[in-house]
Formats: sequence, structure tokens, C-alpha cells
Amino acid sequence: MTNKRRFLAAASALAMLAGPAVAERGADGELKIIYWQAPSTMNPFLSGGTKEVEAASMVIEPLARYSNTGDIVPALAAEIPTVENGGVSEDLKSITWKLKTDVMWSDGTPFTAEDAIFTWKYCTDPNGGCAQTTYFEGVSAMEAIDAHTLKISFTEPKPFPYTALVGSESPIIQAKQFADCMGAKAPECTEQNFNPIGTGPFKVVEFRANDVITLEANPHYRDPAKPAFAKVTFKGGGDAESAARSVLQTGEFDYAWNLQISPEVLTEMESAGKGKVVVAFATSVERIHVNFTNPDSALGPDDRSVFKADGSNPHPILSDIRVRKALSKAIDPVVLTEIGYGKTGKPTCNVLPGPDIYASTANEACKTQNLDEAKALLDEAGWVPGSDGVRVKDGRRLSFLYQTSTNAVRQEFQAIIKEWWSQIGVETELRNISASVFFGGDPNSPDTFQKFYADLEMYTNNFSGVDPEAYMANWLCDKAPTPATQWQGENINRYCNPEYDALAAEFAKTAGLEARAEIAKKMNDILMQDYVMFPLVHRGGTSAHANSLEGVLINDWDSELWNIADWRRAK
Amino acid sequence: MLRYAIRRLLISIPTLLAISFIVFALLDLAPSDPTANLPLTIPPEVREKIRLSLGLGEPFPIRYLKWLQQFLINEPLAVFEQLTGLSIGDSENRLRVLSWATRSPVTDLIVERMPQTLWVVGMSYVVAVLIAVPIGVISAYRQYSIFDQVGTLISMLGFSIPTFFTGLLLIVIFSVWLGWLPSIYDTTHVVNDWESFLFQVRQMIMPTMVLALANASQISRFMRASMLDNLNQDYVRTARAKGVRERTVVLLHVLRNSLIPVVTVIALGVPTIFGGAIVTEQIFRVNGIGALLITGIESNDIPLVQTLTFIFAILIVLFNLIADLLYGVLDPRIRYE
Amino acid sequence: MPLDAGKTDTLVSVRGLSMHFPIYAGVFRRQVGVIKAVDEVSFDIARGETLGVVGESGCGKSTTGRATIRLYKPTAGSVVIDGKDIALLEGGELRRLRPQMQMIFQDPQASLNPRMTVGSIIAEPLDEHRPDLKRAERQDRVRDLLDRVGMNPDFANRYPHEFSGGQRQRIGIARALALEPKFIVCDEPIAALDVSIQAQVVNLLEDLQDQLGLTYMFISHDLSMVRHIADRVAVMYLGRIVELAHRDILYEAPKHPYTKALLSAVPTVEKRAQERIILKGDVPSPANPPSGCVFRTRCPVAEARCAAEIPALRKLSDGRQAACHFAE
Repeated sequence: MTNKRRFLAAASALAMLAGPAVAERGADGELKIIYWQAPSTMNPFLSGGTKEVEAASMVIEPLARYSNTGDIVPALAAEIPTVENGGVSEDLKSITWKLKTDVMWSDGTPFTAEDAIFTWKYCTDPNGGCAQTTYFEGVSAMEAIDAHTLKISFTEPKPFPYTALVGSESPIIQAKQFADCMGAKAPECTEQNFNPIGTGPFKVVEFRANDVITLEANPHYRDPAKPAFAKVTFKGGGDAESAARSVLQTGEFDYAWNLQISPEVLTEMESAGKGKVVVAFATSVERIHVNFTNPDSALGPDDRSVFKADGSNPHPILSDIRVRKALSKAIDPVVLTEIGYGKTGKPTCNVLPGPDIYASTANEACKTQNLDEAKALLDEAGWVPGSDGVRVKDGRRLSFLYQTSTNAVRQEFQAIIKEWWSQIGVETELRNISASVFFGGDPNSPDTFQKFYADLEMYTNNFSGVDPEAYMANWLCDKAPTPATQWQGENINRYCNPEYDALAAEFAKTAGLEARAEIAKKMNDILMQDYVMFPLVHRGGTSAHANSLEGVLINDWDSELWNIADWRRAK
Repeated sequence: MLRYAIRRLLISIPTLLAISFIVFALLDLAPSDPTANLPLTIPPEVREKIRLSLGLGEPFPIRYLKWLQQFLINEPLAVFEQLTGLSIGDSENRLRVLSWATRSPVTDLIVERMPQTLWVVGMSYVVAVLIAVPIGVISAYRQYSIFDQVGTLISMLGFSIPTFFTGLLLIVIFSVWLGWLPSIYDTTHVVNDWESFLFQVRQMIMPTMVLALANASQISRFMRASMLDNLNQDYVRTARAKGVRERTVVLLHVLRNSLIPVVTVIALGVPTIFGGAIVTEQIFRVNGIGALLITGIESNDIPLVQTLTFIFAILIVLFNLIADLLYGVLDPRIRYE
Repeated sequence: MPLDAGKTDTLVSVRGLSMHFPIYAGVFRRQVGVIKAVDEVSFDIARGETLGVVGESGCGKSTTGRATIRLYKPTAGSVVIDGKDIALLEGGELRRLRPQMQMIFQDPQASLNPRMTVGSIIAEPLDEHRPDLKRAERQDRVRDLLDRVGMNPDFANRYPHEFSGGQRQRIGIARALALEPKFIVCDEPIAALDVSIQAQVVNLLEDLQDQLGLTYMFISHDLSMVRHIADRVAVMYLGRIVELAHRDILYEAPKHPYTKALLSAVPTVEKRAQERIILKGDVPSPANPPSGCVFRTRCPVAEARCAAEIPALRKLSDGRQAACHFAE
């Protein structure tokens, strides 16, 4: 208490000497952040959870990161290498990063390219269980040209080379500190994992797992005027609603993260006038996936919902595009968004809604519900209304099993959509599965989203970073989950379209943002116009900050705390 | 008594071993995946590597025996070393029970959480007993009086209204409307002077009272019933016939005898203090043992949940024994041989 | 021995003693009536005398005993002990008179606090009423009392559950004697004991009476034991005394029809079965007693008059009292 006061007094005295125009490090006292899911470690390579990544982003930094507009901006790098400035080789097989030369670790030792190389080795050690290895995929070597020049080589041409050590999910850790924590030793380095030495604006004073992190301004941070806060208390635990309350209603905290609560509650809390709700949109889309294979429970485990390359196991009803289109036409994404997400969501007709240059405008028709058109499509497909209103064809009822994870908003959506579909003569059986099982990935469970033992299923997916190449490659024929792959694979729909596969191959070879955007849009449009899935809501990241907190630029492309060095108290 | 206690302790060893196996097996065989809560952007191959690095590749019996060895031998040794600063054997390479989510020793997490749980949940239990005993005594002594009726009503409310409701109600009143008390518990707060002590009291009031209300209702009902049983006993009439003061009759004769079953109930409730109060800790973010358990369950942190559950089992067995011994101490009619 | 206690040195004088317990019922626990456990009872006990009180269970004899030494607050009537009416006394005033009057209870197990040692049970009234005694004196007194009731004084540190029923009753007696009372109500003191022990306890009570000049009210349903110990005997039925007489004349020639029936039930060597009077019906509820004479519903000689008129407890020619219109 008294120490802090003395420090503040000293800081303000310095500020007066320096003149009022220049901000002083630590002048704004304590910043209190609440994350209702508490971080369990400060090492994002060992966790991979968003909460750990964001907490760590205050301490350890990557070479470059994504701004709130989705642009790549330098962090530890001096500039962003491109083909134009010679940083990326013409054959797209290497990238050379120039590092800032004045960066110090919080223990006062200089940051060099060797730390970056160590980080790569640390995460790619086969015994380490690193959660972020995808960032280093295709990296064949890293070398230090000099202490502040890092060359990364790729096994194949990489049109989008900004993956390794870019973004808060692959930051650089200090080689000296983690030297003894390679491979199987990684989890045992509790001290290092909880208190990593970093280059970021703050350093850990005390880490209490799943509870609270106390940080203080990094005395060696490269900008002497930042951060404005001397101390950060990063509290975790509880639930989203009370986290929102502590910022918007009681004013005990300055910043609350990930407020997935009903829009009315959020609006009412905001009316207390202590803080405001901020929303950032990236790539999260709530969507309904169509199963292109036959999920009939009468089939054996080697056939049920299993994709066959010869096309021998199609879905008996949904393989007809007219049925898929009719289902899509009967849905009103605008109404759903308003009910479920309020201002924290936007209706969308794309599975790839951003960054802006990738967002297609060709599919906007899906936002308008048209029940008559849907009925006409079903009539045309030969489905005629039966005695109880449910359409039939060849003695088969037009009936679907529609599953999702257990979640209040999702169950509300299910009920509304079921009602719409019943208006066009479609019978829907609803099912919800505990999220830990649904997303649990246990190959022995019949209830995972990968197994897809249903006709339709709804959830949200997204991709991290700003480059959609890997994400759009999800719908390649050979990525369908099958028993042979232990039900692993991203092509949840079991969609297979040679034209799409060809586009994906072209995408992987094309450099240049404009050209890449063109292909990505085309791929998106194929998925949309083939009604492979029905996008519903473009979901934003919702947070709240106190009115007295300035400088917050909410960011769904990277850590929300990406610019915490610039946060300050309103004067 | 001592021989009885030792015999009971020896009997509890096989019991606890059986419990440890059941706890381990149940949690281990239940469908759960430590990587389930990771973002969908992390691919399956990486998840598989993470699972292997957590030791899930080994067969079940090996994992059970390893865990048992870590829990029963390595952890106590580690705690002993931390307390005394001595080192016994190869303490560097001794494997401890590591939490999957935090990758840190489970015992360290528990030790870190213990203070706030004992402060808040323990204090609430003490408060509950302090409130419940007088209420129970007066309610019984003045059976069917206004005091008794009101006491019964409040007990019923405390008993039937869940803590998540009373907790939220208190937060809305005292934090949102009045702004008197903090709604979020500061676990890093250090009490070192009068001012900081007052802050500690302020942040403890709401969670403590919410829990105390729930506990007190139960204990006061026990107290009342037990008092009523004893008030009509002949020896109470004897005491009155002796010309003993009414206060002595109630406090010395009736209360002392009535406390015997109540003390047992209180003793049996002590393990739940260490178990924390999952709901209340979540609401006020006390982040004690209860919150630790629930985050462990949510993140499929099996070693953490196994260890905590087993510690609770040990405490329950232990306090059952303590309750039995206490009964013997309090009631001269009971002798353990 | 005095035949008419009223004219000699009376220690206890009870007049019109009534003990009514309210009955509550319904959702709001309203009082809906009273149980007349004891109704208009009057008697005297002379110094050094033993008054036996007999009757069926539920007739109100224990309640009479308890109300007499003010363990209950009587609904009506007066209780004069040694010249002082204690019927309406409260709190400290009453407590100060406790040493004069004590009670020995029926169930020696339940009447002793299980968590106190024998020594502290006996010493407790001394702590309360004799603050002048030093610790050592008090201990001596406890040992002396135990010795007096025929127990090993070293047992003072033991707990009640370690003793047999007869021993516990001796402890109960020692406890009652601690304050050197003048008057002791013995409420069925032998009912819970083995027959072999009963005589020992009764003999002890008689010895103590001789040594200490005690006055007893001896409540029992055991008619033979009452005949053995009592000087005079009161017979109760449904909260009232129906006959009060010297032991010898009562047992020889009972006048009240209820006393006759009661005594005919005592098995004796010379009696034969046909002499037994079997009463018809059950004891009426004390919450709703019959009009007039309470015994009339079961009385073999009842007439119309009995329903209309409550018979007074009249003094008969031989000095006894009886509450029957036809007793002569």
C-alpha cells in the first residue's frame, strides 16, 4: 500500500518535471481486468486456450500481430517483410525478418534472433505437446543472419508466409529461461510457465493459476513512456454476467472479456453509465452444417455418416440441392441474430465473412426469408404434403435430426428454425449434446460433431489469424472424418466437389493479396451457392470497458489486449 | 480410546485404497478429453500430441499406480520439503501429481487456494454455529413463541433458497444499488494494518453471510430438536427440584446434553469446509478449493479432480472418526474399547 | 400416630389444589379445552408422617405430588408448607425454599444427568444453596450422604450409567437429602426397580425417616407397599381424592366403592377370586370428565343423584374422609 503510494508520488513528480504533454510510465496506477474464464498458465504453447493466449500477450510478444482492422503490424519486427521490400524471396520459400534492435527482456538482457529460433525448436519438439505447432508447419529452418535478422525457410513456396511467430498464439519466449524446458520437461517447468520473462509492456509479479495474475510495468519496455499503468490485476473465475456487472454496474473493474450474455441484459447493464460494451468482428460464424452422407442409424459403423470416394453413400434426402436450398430459404438470419445476439452479432450469408477483402457480396439473398419459394422448391423436388402436413416422397417422410451443443441461445435457435421448417412441411427432431462431449472429439462417442450422426448440426467455427487458406481447405474431399482417420478431419459436411478442390490447390500457389482474395471469395461462393451449410450469424467478440479507460481498440483478429501498452486512464 | 482410534485408522486404510481406486477409475474411464476446450482451430494431430504429453498413452493400471505413488509418497515428501527446507533423496526428479491445465503440481494449487477457502467458508461455518446454537436454544425453550415461529420461517428460507440466489440478491443490493461492498473477492489482498483488515472484513461479509445462513438454518434445526428432546427429560426436572437457577438448568443441564448430537453434526460438516462452497465461491470469485474443483471439472483436468476428490474422501473418513471420538469424549455413557 | 393431622403439628397443608393443562389443536394451535389432571384436592400431612397416595396410572397422583412441591404452577388452590403458602411464589423466592422440599423420582436412570458425575449431581444443590460451605466440606458432605444411603463414598467420581437401578435410586435419594429437607415427595420411587431391590429402598427410606425426622408423601400404585410404609392413605381417581383414611381402617374396611374395587384387586393369600370386584368400562378422559361424581360411570352403586351432584369429601364417623353420597 505505502510502497505503491510512494511509487505513484515519485512517478507523478517525474511527470511534472517532464512536463504535462508527455505521458509517463506507470502514471495511471492500477488497471483491473476481469476474464471470467481464468488463465491456467502463462505459456500459450502449453495451453492453446484463448484465455491463456490473451493473458500471455501482455508479457510475451510475437514478431508481428494483427491490428483491430485485421492488418499485420510489426511488434518485435522492425517492419513487415514483403516481396516488394525484399523481405520475402521471389520463390516464396523464405522470409527474412528484421528485428527491432533496442528490445530488452524484462530481466534486462537483450532480445535477439536466437530467442526466436529457440521458440521454434521449443514448440516443434515432438515430446513437448505444443498446442501451436500449426504455426510452424512448413518451416524447414530458421537461421540468424545476425543478432537482429531472422531468416525462416519453408519446405514449399508459402504464398502467405506470416504464420510462424506472428500473432499472439505464437509469441517468442526467452531462450535463456526455457533452455531446460525442452520436450518432455516442458510441463514440469512450473516456474517458467507461470512467470515467463517477456518483452511486452508488463511482467508477472505473481501468477495464481485459475485465479488472479498480478503484473507490473516492465521496466525495460522499449517505449519509455509506456505502459501508462503501473500495475495490472488480472482476475479470473465466475461467470460472464457477473463479470459484465463488475465493469458496467459496480465499476469495480476496468475491462471485462468475452461477455456472451443475452443482449437485453447487456444493454440494461450498460444503461448504468459506468462503462460501454464494445464488439469486434473477425471470422466466427454460427452455421448449420448439412450432412452429405447417410447418417441412418441402421447402417453399421463403417457406413453410417462415412464418406465414400465413389459417392456410394449419399444422404438420401439432402443430396438434392433443392431440399438444401428450401431449408436455407425458410431461415431468417436477421431475426435469429436479433433474438440471439443483438448488437454482438450480424446476420451473414458467408462462411468467410472477413477480413473485408475476403468477404463476398454474392450471396446476400439468404438474408431474406422466402417460405413460398422454399415450398415451391420442395414441390419441384417431388416432396408432396402428407396428411399430417409433413411432406412425403416414395413413402419417406421429409424429416431431419438437427443437433447442436447444449446452450440456451442454440436451443432457442433450434426451436425457431424447427417452427419455420414445419411451415414448409419439414419435420425436425431436435437434439442437444453437452458441449464437452459434442466438441470433445472422443472417437468412441457417437455424439461428437465430427461423427455427425445426424442430418444437420449447428455450431460456430472460425479461423485464427487473417489468412483463410487453411480454413477454406476444410472442405476438401479428403478431409472428411472417417473411421480410418479416427474420425479426425475438418470436412465435417463430407462435401466433395472437384471444382472446389482445384480452387484450393490454386489458392495454395497464389501470392498477392488481391489475387488470393479473389479465389477465397470464389470458394466461399461455391459453398454458399451449393448450400453446403447455412450461415446464420457473424459473431463478434464482446467486451466491456469502463468509461475511464481510454485507448481500447477491441480486436477479434488477435488478443484483445494487443495494444494494452497504449491503454490509459481518461483525464 | 487411543487403541480404538488406532484400530479405526488402520481399518480406514483399505477403505481409502478402495476409494482411491474407484475415484481414479471413475474419472479416468469417464469420457473426457483434456483438449476438448481448446479452440477448434487446433488440429487433431496436435491434440493427439498434447494427450500423449499428458501421459495418456500409458495403460490404465500403470497410470493408477503411478498416481498412487505420486499422491501417497511424492506429494507428502514434497510438502515436507517445502515446509522444512530439507531435501530427501532425489527431490529434483521426483514426479509430482501435475494438473493438466496448469502443468503445475496439484498440491501447490491446493495450498494456494486453501487460505481463502478457510477464511470465507471456514468463517461462515463458525458464524453459522455461533448464530445457530443460541437460536436453536431459544427456539426450543420458547417453543411455539413468536421467536420460534420467526426462527422457523428464517430457517426454512435459509434451507430452501439456494445460495446462488441469496448471493446474487446481496450483490444487487449491496454492490450495485448501495455500492457498499465489493462483489469480487480479492484473493491477493494482504492484511497488515487496521485499514486492510477492514477491507478484508468488507469483502468477506457477503460470501460469509450467504453460506452462514444456509449452514445456520440446518444446525439451528438440529439444535432445536435436540434441546426439545432434552428439555422434557426427568433430569431437567430433577435440576429444577434441586432449586438450581433456570439459566443453569438450561445452559448446564439441557444445553450440554443437547450439544452431543449437534457437535457430531458439526464435526461431520467440517470436511465440506475444505471442499469449499462451489456455488458461492463462483459467485463472489473467492476462487478457493470449490472453484478449483469446478474449473478442474470444466477443463477435464482429471489429475486435479482425482486428487481433490480423494483428499475429500480422506477428510470425510477422518472426520467421521473424529466425530465418533468426540461423541465418546462428550458422552460418558459411551466407551470405546 | 395422629389420626387427624389437621389438629396436630401440620407440615403440609393443601387446599383446593387444581392442576389443569390446556389442550391446543388446529392449524393455529388454539386452546380448545383443558385436561383436569388434578381437581380440587385438599389434604394435610403432619410432621414426621407418611402420606401414601394410590390410584391407577393417570389418576393425577404424580401431578399432585409435583404441584405440591411446586414443580408445576397450580391452576388454583393453596399449598402451605411449614406455614408459608408457596402456590404463587416465583423465581428466586421459590428457589430459596427448595431446600425444604425435595422429590425422589420414579426413573432413577432418566432423572440423573448422564453427563455429570454422581458427586457433582449430589453437590449441585449445595453449590446453589450453601455457598457458605468450603470445597472440602462439600466433598465431605457428598461422601457422608453416599455413605448414609449405603453406597461406597468413592463412587462420587463415577457416572450414573455405571450403576445398577437400585444404586441409582440410592443416588437419587442422597441427592434429595443433600439440603436436609423437611418434606420429600417420593414419586413411585420403587416402580422401576426389581422386586428384590424394592424392599431395600423402602427400608432405606424408613430408616432415613426415623433418623432425620422426614415427612414423606409416598406416591405409588403398589397397594401393599403403601400399606407397609404409609401412616395414612389417600386414594385418587380421575384427579380427585375419593377416600383419605388411616392405613389400617382403609385396608380393613374401605368405604368408597372405588377403594373397595381397588383393594379387591390386590392379590393376598386369603382372598378368593369371586370376591374381586370387576369395574366395567374404562377410565373417562380427564379432558371431559363425567358430571357429578366422576366415578359414577363405573360405580356399581351409582344412582341418578350421582350424575347431578358432586359428592363432597366428607368426614365419616371413624374419622376418615370419603367422597361418596352413600358412604357411612
